[in-house]
Amino acid sequence: MSKVLRYFAALIAFVYAVAPVYWLLTISLKSEVDQFAWPPKWFTFTPTLQHYYDAFASGSFSRFFGNSVIVASVSTLAALALGVPAAYGLARFAWPRDWAQGLSFWVLSTRMLPPIVTIVPLFLMMRELHLLNSLAALVVVYTAFNLPFVIWMMRGFFAEVPKELEEAAMLDGESRMGALWRIVLPLVRPGLAATAVFCLIVAWNEFLFALILSQTESAMTLPVGIASRVTQYEIKWGAMSAAGVVAMLPVLIFASAVQKHLVRGLSLGAVKG
Amino acid sequence: MIGRIASFRAALKQAHGLPWAAPAVGLLAALSIYPMVFSIKVSLTGQAGGFSFEHYLRLLTDRFFLISVWQTVIYSLAALTVEFLLGLTLALLIDSLTRGKSIFRAGLLVPMLLPPVVAAVAWRLIYNPQFGVLNGMLKMAGADTSRLTWTSGEGAAMISVILVDIWEWTPFLFLLLSAGLQAIPPDPIEAARMDGASNWQILWDVILPLLKPTIALALLLRAMDLMRIFDQIFILTQGGPGFATETTSLYIYRTAFRFYNFGYAAAMSFVGLLLTTLFARGLLRFMRVS
Amino acid sequence: MRALFVAFITFLTACSLSSCGKSGPSLVIAVNAGVEGSALKAAALEWAEQKGIHAEVVELPYANLFEKELLDLTSHTGAYDVVMLDDPWFPRLAEHLEPLPKDPDSDFVGPALDVCRLPYKTGAYRALPYVGNSQVFFYRGDLFDKYKLGKPDTWQHVLEAGKKIGAGEKMYGYVMRAAPGNAVVADFMPLLWAFGGEMFNSAMMPSLTSPEAIEALKFMIELGKIAPPGYTGFNADEVAAHLLQSTAVMSINWPAWIAAMDNPAKSNVVGKVEFAPMPAAKNPGIAELGSWLVAVPSGTKNKTLAFEFINWATDAERQKDAAMRGNPPTRKSVFLRQDLREKYHSFPVQLQSLETSRPRPRIASWNEVENAFGIYLSQANSGTLKPEEAMQKAELEIRQILLRSK
Repeated sequence: MSKVLRYFAALIAFVYAVAPVYWLLTISLKSEVDQFAWPPKWFTFTPTLQHYYDAFASGSFSRFFGNSVIVASVSTLAALALGVPAAYGLARFAWPRDWAQGLSFWVLSTRMLPPIVTIVPLFLMMRELHLLNSLAALVVVYTAFNLPFVIWMMRGFFAEVPKELEEAAMLDGESRMGALWRIVLPLVRPGLAATAVFCLIVAWNEFLFALILSQTESAMTLPVGIASRVTQYEIKWGAMSAAGVVAMLPVLIFASAVQKHLVRGLSLGAVKG
Repeated sequence: MIGRIASFRAALKQAHGLPWAAPAVGLLAALSIYPMVFSIKVSLTGQAGGFSFEHYLRLLTDRFFLISVWQTVIYSLAALTVEFLLGLTLALLIDSLTRGKSIFRAGLLVPMLLPPVVAAVAWRLIYNPQFGVLNGMLKMAGADTSRLTWTSGEGAAMISVILVDIWEWTPFLFLLLSAGLQAIPPDPIEAARMDGASNWQILWDVILPLLKPTIALALLLRAMDLMRIFDQIFILTQGGPGFATETTSLYIYRTAFRFYNFGYAAAMSFVGLLLTTLFARGLLRFMRVS
Repeated sequence: MRALFVAFITFLTACSLSSCGKSGPSLVIAVNAGVEGSALKAAALEWAEQKGIHAEVVELPYANLFEKELLDLTSHTGAYDVVMLDDPWFPRLAEHLEPLPKDPDSDFVGPALDVCRLPYKTGAYRALPYVGNSQVFFYRGDLFDKYKLGKPDTWQHVLEAGKKIGAGEKMYGYVMRAAPGNAVVADFMPLLWAFGGEMFNSAMMPSLTSPEAIEALKFMIELGKIAPPGYTGFNADEVAAHLLQSTAVMSINWPAWIAAMDNPAKSNVVGKVEFAPMPAAKNPGIAELGSWLVAVPSGTKNKTLAFEFINWATDAERQKDAAMRGNPPTRKSVFLRQDLREKYHSFPVQLQSLETSRPRPRIASWNEVENAFGIYLSQANSGTLKPEEAMQKAELEIRQILLRSK
């Protein structure tokens, strides 16, 4: 295919991917009259920040945003704190029989569980632990969600680091832990960053568990808050799209920062996994 | 028996990596094994209390369950096929560009990064029959949009919902297939080109076979997620109108949280899980063979 | 740098484990995200300010509200101190609602109060009616006058008038809610009752295949022929929109939409829409009741405060305030107030409608029944099923639901 044609096709695909998002952005910036105007106003409108004000200053969305930030960051940290050592353990040590393979597979299989299977028992579990309607419940659940991915990705990255480096350090008196922290981790920093970003995105975007495990606004995250504006009779389009735009910004920013590594990490994990 | 325990104990001592993995494994076990066991118990408890197979028996004759399974299959197959073909085309296309690759790639990835709830909300706005931009643009082109009700029309609802999935998740396949393409060494392609092979032949005989493991992985991952699809449909149509877009996850959700029948919902989830696992095995086997 | 990071993380973790910033007595109120809920929300905030306590209003969309309340009430988590519920939900939720400490006074309109009792009409009061929603028939009085058609007093007359006016004005003669589920069932019930049909017979088994029921469904399909295409997906806002934009002549709808009809900002038909009680057929017209109730879950830790609130919110003064904001009241005295009657010409019709209204069948599995019934009704309207088939399937499905829930 000729070069011009290919670039044109790529452009069409680009527009197709981005247009709905752009439209959402315009709805959040248009006055209500403009929102419903026909012909649709793609570019010719006077922007207003009223909806952002409605959603965040006088509405509850700043609360939802804060909750999402807390839950996503803490659960990512926890997933890394638990998952990185686990991945290291699986990658570096000799395991009896084929336990390493079996364990890895089991870990991965928990990711395959349809959420619907676990949601009611988890609801009851959280109720017993008095963690219902709390951010802590979501942190625990999201950590468990992300662990398989962390272990899978980091195992691949660790396998790329030659054992000799740690062995040399340990000969010099460094502990296993120290070697991991001081020698290996700095080497896999890009992979670690990509993994962390992926965990953040998963936790940030999650909906079903946040929906069921929260009962009042103190525990609701952004996706739940946005969904709760989709009412039976009317949709508060302005506030909802403003919230939607804010909800997607952190993800887009983070993802663009680690785009390259994400691709590499996924393909590495694919080859090893 | 005792020998087995003794050898297990010995193996345990050899597993030096275990303390490293223990906390992670512990958390995962707590949050996956207990719920599974509980769910099994609930699925075998009749509505009057006490042990009963009634929920599993009901599955065999429940019209709505069968319809939801069928709809899940249709949704998954349609979305998967288009997403794969489109994703592959885009991967090949972008890979072939010499400049601006990363800009295009960044833009193309946007849909899958959004929270599915936000994507669904954006499309609900777009699909609105009276005020949405889709009908707005079609009207400008002269089409009669009074019958185009997208997600509120029983016939068009499924297609509308599948289209959203395609928009949102083609980037995922695009990403994986791009990564796979990048990992292909250039030599076989060079060699084939020097032998005078056409582009089509290179694609079919060289690239695709080398891409097979990535394709298998991509299809598998996406298929698994498609079969449990929930978020988007929930926001777009809540499974409606009526039952038109009710996939198994939504029916299970409705049964559990609206009809307050956890036992039946649990039974359905297990059967659903079973079907998904069987399908995954089948897919893997198929990919290995071909 | 690293210390700052660690401090930030510790703060976040601490925040997630505790509940940052809650002190003093508070009340958590779950309301419907929509017109009805906003009235209660305004009342709650007003009351909280008066009493100097904190009121947290949780607004959720209709289906989601039901799910959350069901889950909270049945697991006794006590997350909500006051709940707002649609009256069809009452049979399912009532056993988990705290009975009222003292009986409500007789100013409340009878049917609205009856649905607050478990068992229906005879048992203890477990809720108070807040939104006096009973269906009203909306029609273009100006067009009826123009074509000298009198009033829409029978369904047959409605159909004929619809055809005549529709042809003459190039409008749709009738518009209705026929989206599967709650919407289509709500619009069908008045037809069913007017044609002499019943949903359940005396043995509490579905009687949808009776000649009267089938006749009612056939008539609904006839009405559908003069309705806008796509009506099989319509809910209340589409119906209201067609009237507001002068593209349809008549419809059934909830009183919540009455205010919009005469609001110049939203309506092209200010002053032209009239309101009437339900048309009759074989039987006199009966409106379907769809009132929203307020109640106190038995799992709450703030019972006294909660009851204080709901009694306050439903007293005559507060109902007058809410009515000024567009909320249909549930007290006779409020309906008879001169100032409100001047503002809302429809009040006499609304009161009559409320006093003669009927609720939907009071069964705990109503949600499931309505779900199934709604699917078949909608399929009959879209032509997928013939009316007799639709009713047969609906009856079968409902029977199974009832047998399962025994």
